[in-house]
Amino acid sequence: MFSKKKIVIAYTVEKCKKCGMLRKRKFAEGDVLFAESSNCASCDGMTSIEKIFGEIIE
Amino acid sequence: MLNLVNFTNFDFNQLFAMGDDTNPIMMLIWIIPIIFFVFYGQRIQLYITSSEIKKGIKKLDSYKEESRNELIDYITKNLKPKDDLIKKIDRFLDHFTIMPVDMDPNGIVDKVRHTVRSREDYTREHVKLLSPGISDLEVTKVQTLLEIASSLQMIYKIVNHMFLTAKKQNNYPLILPLQMLLPFIMEQAEAMKEAIPAFKVGQPVGDGIGPMVVGKMMLSGEKETVAFQTVLVKTEFENRTLFLLKAEGPGSTVGRPADALETIVSSNKLDVIIMIDAALKMEGEDSASIAQGFGAAIGGIGIDRFQIEAIATNNSIPIFSIVVKQSVKEAITLMTKEIADQADDVRSQVYEMIRENTKQGQSVLIIGVGNTVGVPQ
Repeated sequence: MFSKKKIVIAYTVEKCKKCGMLRKRKFAEGDVLFAESSNCASCDGMTSIEKIFGEIIE
Repeated sequence: MLNLVNFTNFDFNQLFAMGDDTNPIMMLIWIIPIIFFVFYGQRIQLYITSSEIKKGIKKLDSYKEESRNELIDYITKNLKPKDDLIKKIDRFLDHFTIMPVDMDPNGIVDKVRHTVRSREDYTREHVKLLSPGISDLEVTKVQTLLEIASSLQMIYKIVNHMFLTAKKQNNYPLILPLQMLLPFIMEQAEAMKEAIPAFKVGQPVGDGIGPMVVGKMMLSGEKETVAFQTVLVKTEFENRTLFLLKAEGPGSTVGRPADALETIVSSNKLDVIIMIDAALKMEGEDSASIAQGFGAAIGGIGIDRFQIEAIATNNSIPIFSIVVKQSVKEAITLMTKEIADQADDVRSQVYEMIRENTKQGQSVLIIGVGNTVGVPQ
């Protein structure tokens, strides 16, 4: 009766193959694990998708 | 002590209020309810229990409709079906599987495997017919969504049947097992309903932790399809040969690890098998906790486990397992952060297990068991 509705938000974590920097962003359709994703923001390396997970927001 | 209560000195007239000075109306006030409850007690309980079960059935009905609509919506938007989609989907949802007779259990596993695989093949071929040119990835997604929708339909039908039968016959004992099982059934059904969004967009689910661990180990290797929807990579680790096996991602499939093992064993000598899987946690256990053990860690109807155990026994190969504990809901919905965070730890435990249980020059098969949706290799 008093329980709040839980919303799950999907996130993608990218890891730079060169400097190892991690970046968390919202999941975008087409994201799959280990896929090359984008250019690293701190170096000229490429990032790959390290994790995809959901976090609950109440 | 015994003298405190004298059991021989009861006044029964006083005790049951039957003396001459007792008000008959007062007597009726407590006698009538007793008689009433003796004859109608079960029926009253039936009504009370019924209202709770009715709420559950209403929810199951909404889950069933929701999953059907989601499936139709997904196919219409993504696959541009040829014709008669709704009629075909409804026919699919009503499909049933008659399991083989088990009066003589000899050879029952082969019969079950044949029945289950025939059904899978039939569904796959008919999903392909819905939309010519559909990719294999989409076929696996639609197949899973179809499986969810038809399971929810079946659950609804069975629960509703049990409830209506009990009501029709005013049979309270018949409704008791349903009342006891309903919370578990609702948990499963809710999990299935909530699994739909993850499978639609191809996100990894909790059950995919095994493929996630092995998939990363496979990345740099040369992939070989070793069984239907199952891939193998052969690599080296500290002078040991590693055979890495998982279902072919990122489609929604569990592959056929037992068939793959049979092929691998026919041309290689294996010394150890390590299986990584998700396992149902017990109440009170922490979600995403890791445990190691012996024996084949693989779920499903049991045909793969039977085959893996038989091959391992015939070839005297020990099977070690690493499992990541999770609830039913966590296993089939979008992977939680806690489970995803355990992947590196599981991988390091796999390497530790290899070092501890094999010598240099030996061969190890590592199987990432589970649904590989959203997890390539």
